[in-house]
Parts: sequence; C-alpha cells; structure tokens
Amino acid sequence: MPRCAVPLAVVAVLATATLHAQERRLVDRLDPVTATAVQQLIDSARTAELPTEPLVQKALEGATLGAGGDRIRTAVGVLLGQLGRARDVLGPTATEAELTAGAGALRAGLTSETLQRLQVMRPGQPLVVPLSVLTDLVAEGMTADLAARSVFDLARNGRPDADFLALRRRVQTELRSTAPREDGPPGRSPGRPAANPPATRP
Amino acid sequence: MHADSPDAPDDTLRRVIAELRRPVHLDARIDDRVLRAIAREQALPPRRVRPARWAGGALGGALAAGLLLTLLGRDAAPTRPIELRLIAPASHVMVVGDFNDWDPAATPLRRGNEGGTWTVELRLPPGRYRYTFLVDGRRWVPDPEEPRAADDDFGAPMSVLTVS
Amino acid sequence: MPLRVLSQSAVTGGLSPVSEADAVLVGRTLAGDLAAFASLMSRYRESLGRYAYHMLGSREDAEEAVQDSFVRAYRSLGDCRQPERFAAWLFTILVNRCRTSQRRLFRRRRFSEDLRDDVAAGGDAAASLEWREEIARALAALRPHYREAFLLRYVEGLDYAEMARLTGAREPTLRMRVKRAGDQLRELLRDIHAR
Repeated sequence: MPRCAVPLAVVAVLATATLHAQERRLVDRLDPVTATAVQQLIDSARTAELPTEPLVQKALEGATLGAGGDRIRTAVGVLLGQLGRARDVLGPTATEAELTAGAGALRAGLTSETLQRLQVMRPGQPLVVPLSVLTDLVAEGMTADLAARSVFDLARNGRPDADFLALRRRVQTELRSTAPREDGPPGRSPGRPAANPPATRP
Repeated sequence: MHADSPDAPDDTLRRVIAELRRPVHLDARIDDRVLRAIAREQALPPRRVRPARWAGGALGGALAAGLLLTLLGRDAAPTRPIELRLIAPASHVMVVGDFNDWDPAATPLRRGNEGGTWTVELRLPPGRYRYTFLVDGRRWVPDPEEPRAADDDFGAPMSVLTVS
Repeated sequence: MPLRVLSQSAVTGGLSPVSEADAVLVGRTLAGDLAAFASLMSRYRESLGRYAYHMLGSREDAEEAVQDSFVRAYRSLGDCRQPERFAAWLFTILVNRCRTSQRRLFRRRRFSEDLRDDVAAGGDAAASLEWREEIARALAALRPHYREAFLLRYVEGLDYAEMARLTGAREPTLRMRVKRAGDQLRELLRDIHAR
C-alpha cells in the first residue's frame, strides 16, 4: 500500500462503501439491465458534478410503482437533463435541494429567466421554498406569469420562506374550492386504484 | 499471418479456421448473473497498488475524503419535524417517497383515535420531496393537504412536500 | 470496437494493446462503477465465448466458464497491472478456467443441438451443419493442449510470444503443438474435404 494513502485508507474505504451502498439500492430493487443503465446515468451526473441522489430516488420511485425498465431509464434520464439545465440557470453554487427544486420548476414550464430573476431578488438566500412554491402554484392551475408575479412580489420585499408557503396555501385553498375536483371533495381521498400495484421487494 | 510464414495454414485448415471464427452467441444474461454474483459478495476489487497511475495517491485520498465529508454533511443537515396525515378508511397505510427510498414497508402510518385518521411523524432536512400513500397495499393516494406533483412519471398520483 | 480486435488480430497478429477505452473502464470499475464493468463484459463476452465454446465443446460449459472468468476478473481487477491490456489479461483468466474444466470429465458435446442454433440462414444449411459437426468432432478429438494452441494461434490470432505469456509454455513447445494440431485436424477432416 503506498505511503501517502495509508492515513486516508479508512476514509477511502468508507467513501467507497457509501458509494457502494448507493449502487446496492439499485441492484437490490431493479433488474440488472435497468440497474446498469441507471448507474451509467448516475455516473454521468457524478462526472458533471450534478447531484445523484435525486436520480437514485427517481429510479426507486419507478421500481416501487412497478414501472418497466424503459420507463425508469427515461425518467431518470429526463431528470438528469433537468438538473443540468437547473445548474446552468442557478449556477455552480446551487445546492442539491435548489437544483432539484429548480429542475421541477423548469419542468413545470417556468422559464430560465424566471428562475434567474428570482435568484437576483434573493441574493445569498436559499431558493428551495420560492422555487417550490412557484412550481406548486403552476401545478395547481395558476398561469406561469401570474405565479411568477406573485412570488416575485414576496421576494422583492424580502419576505421569509413561511410567507411563500402561506401564499401557496391560500392559492391552493382558493383554487380547490372553486374548481371541480376529479377526486372528490377537499379533505377526502378516495384515491386511485393502483394501475401499477406496488412492486414487491426481491 | 502471411501465406508464406512457417505455420501458414493450408486450404483445409483455412476452411476450418474460417468456420471456427464465426461468432458464438452466448446468453447475454451471463452479464446479469455476474453482476448479481458481484452484488451478493458485497465486495469491490482491491485498490490498485499504484494509485499514481490514476489520480495520484494523495489526491485520490483527498478526493475520497472530500466525497465522504460531503456525503456525511448532507445527512447531517438540520431536520424539521413533519407530520403527514391521511383520512381514509383502511386497514393499513404506508407512505413512500424520496425520504425513505420509496420502500413500501419502511414507514407505516399510525391509526389515530378518530376513525379513519392516519398519521406519521418524519424528521426531514430542508428540501423538496415527492411522496404518496399506499392504502391497504393496493391504492396510491395523494396527500390532500399538500400540493400535487406536476410531474407524473409513473402514472401514480403524487404529492410534493417542501421543507424549509 | 475493441471486441473485434481479437478476431481481426488473426490477420495482423496479437491481442491489440490499443485499448484506451478498456483502461478507462477498468479505472472506473476500481472506483466502484459497476456499469463500467458491465461495459467490459458486453465488449468481450462473445470473443471469450467463442474460445470457451470451441475449447470445452458445449454452450453450457462455455457460458459457465465465461461467467466464472468475469467474476474472477472483477475480484482480482486490482491485479491487472496493465489496464490497457485488459483483454489479454482477461483472456488469461479464461484460458486457465478452461484448463480447469478440461481436467474434469470432458462432457459429451451436445454439438448437434448447439450448432443447429448457429446455422446461417440461407445457403446450404444441411451441408453447413454437417461440416461444422465434423469440425467440432475433429476438434474434440485433439489433445486439450493441442486444441488450446490451435485456437489461440489461428482463431484468436495471437503470436507465439503472447501465447507463451498466456499459457506459460515455451514458444518452441507451442509451435510444436500448433503444428501437430493442424496435422491431426487435416487428417481427420481429409475424408470430409474430399467429398
């Protein structure tokens, strides 16, 4: 064993073990072909210094929901692309949580410019909550423009995260109380029969 | 191999060699079986004896240390108590999501005193988490108290939780 | 595609040392990237399989030998001191693994079942099958060392220096084995060829 590696041997082994644990989740839960394909995407993310845990979670989500290998690979690949775009917009100092939230916002149809404006309005402050609220407002049915204006108002005035979450609750309540719900009245959750029954663990 | 080299094959052997060079297709599942064997053994190949050939011993070790610290740091982020609640007639309710590796056996909800109310308390670091409830092992039910996820990759209704 | 290096080398000679991609994949595997190892397996499964099939006489035995060789290669990858010559190193593992199989009872070849799967579509399929069956029988009749030397020299295209490194035998010995294998095959197949 080389002299310089001796003091760091334990660290190297532990780091390797942690990396190995990540691969183990894929090996345990996915068929080998899909696990290999997903691992390649994760490796690409690592090379590009993008977060890998969201990709693992996306693959595990697909596994639990009984999705086929192709669908899982596609979903992980799409997410990888979105994370890359989010990093292009938010910059190299964005945290994993911000990149994940940013990827979700871009996917929801919000523009790069919207994300960049938000970042400018909240210099040095975490963006996870504003980005998440932006995405959620659009998901609830608000137009992207209106959602952005609502969030920008709060950001411009230096409001805390709790105010963004309160905005979202108000909008959610308002929109749900006025729009017909396909899944029953608010507060009740008849749910959807699992088209894909939960995949049992091997 | 030239025709005039000492052991150049004659016509008969050329035909034999041509036949023997034809591709032999083995079951591609060999790869799967090898990967499973490797995973079962839970062992990685030993490190190269000469790391300088790759990243350099000290640099490689420093990278490994940095990676480990980053991984530990992520897990050591402050957590917030989050209660998830579902009102539904059911025998058992589980939650699966980004916070428990989507494991349908990991996180059961507890039935409350009020009929049909199920709850679970989680501790989560700041971030955005997709999740859904699994009711009686056969129904995916979104959380009515949280926003629905806009992206639906796998056909099941999802909720999204933002922890600040 | 480095996979083809082993057969193309029958003309140019030798297991090509130009496998930079192999070296990269080996490095990534050592860093814990199973997908990199899967790529290596995909790259070499067929060439390894061809040698093992002709050496051992059955697809089932060949698959087992190739599988065992890959697992062994993974376990001992840290001992691969020249990752740019990974193919040759892997082949050494396979050759030794096949020798181990040879020391067990040489199973009767199920060549009819195996070969029928591989008969090329079109052409004179029956004649092709008969010819291939005769070759398989003749190959099986050779002593294992002769068969090994013949396959390494003419099918895998190694030069004698590489064969010596791989088998541990001296070059003159290997030349003798190759010659005798060729002579015996020629003799066994003479009647067939003359038809």
